[in-house]
Amino acid sequence: MTDAAMDDKEPTKIFSIKTQVGKEQNTADLLNSRSKRSDLDVASILVTPELRGYIFVEGYDKERLKDVIKTISYARTVLDGDIPVSQIEHFLVPTSAVAKISEGDVVEMVAGPFRGETAKVTHIDDAKEEITVELFESVVPIPITVRGEQVRVVKRKDEDKKEE
Amino acid sequence: MKQLYACKNCHWLTKEKVCPHCAVPTSKRWRGYVIIDDPSNSQIAEKMNIKKPGKYALKVR
Repeated sequence: MTDAAMDDKEPTKIFSIKTQVGKEQNTADLLNSRSKRSDLDVASILVTPELRGYIFVEGYDKERLKDVIKTISYARTVLDGDIPVSQIEHFLVPTSAVAKISEGDVVEMVAGPFRGETAKVTHIDDAKEEITVELFESVVPIPITVRGEQVRVVKRKDEDKKEE
Repeated sequence: MKQLYACKNCHWLTKEKVCPHCAVPTSKRWRGYVIIDDPSNSQIAEKMNIKKPGKYALKVR
């Protein structure tokens, strides 16, 4: 095959593979090494932290991909159909974890030692993606700094004003 | 598996504490994982503006 013919490849398709939860990165590494050994043509493999139990594989031949993942114990099945790149675009440019949080919001801790407790946001550090909160249930208000991913907004400051 | 570090500039994943491409300090706080094998034909590489094949992080702090 000439270089010109090789460059003129058909457009890639994006397939999703169901994997064992927590083993997405291992599956991607194994698939990458197996694809190099076999004749499977893979352009890229994407593992997103938001989507547990699934990885995206950009390639050409779905049937070959199905054969290769049979040899990977962490991989389960290839889902039917392919995904347009526009549907996974938002995973590729991740937004800041604190982008949707503002000072005065009421948040619930979803991880860490204070999991389940509600708190009020007093400060936001955009660069470190950390927020400082004060727990409602503590007698003395102690500022606690946590990561932006560790909280979930339950009530916005604006909502509070509207109710008043 | 040895801890991987991500370049704060190009998001390249490496075992070194300094990025071999940009000479920028790397970070162990990263999320998301992308393996690019064929950047010239990959739509994902195009969207992420990646030109070199390799392993990359989606987000580096």
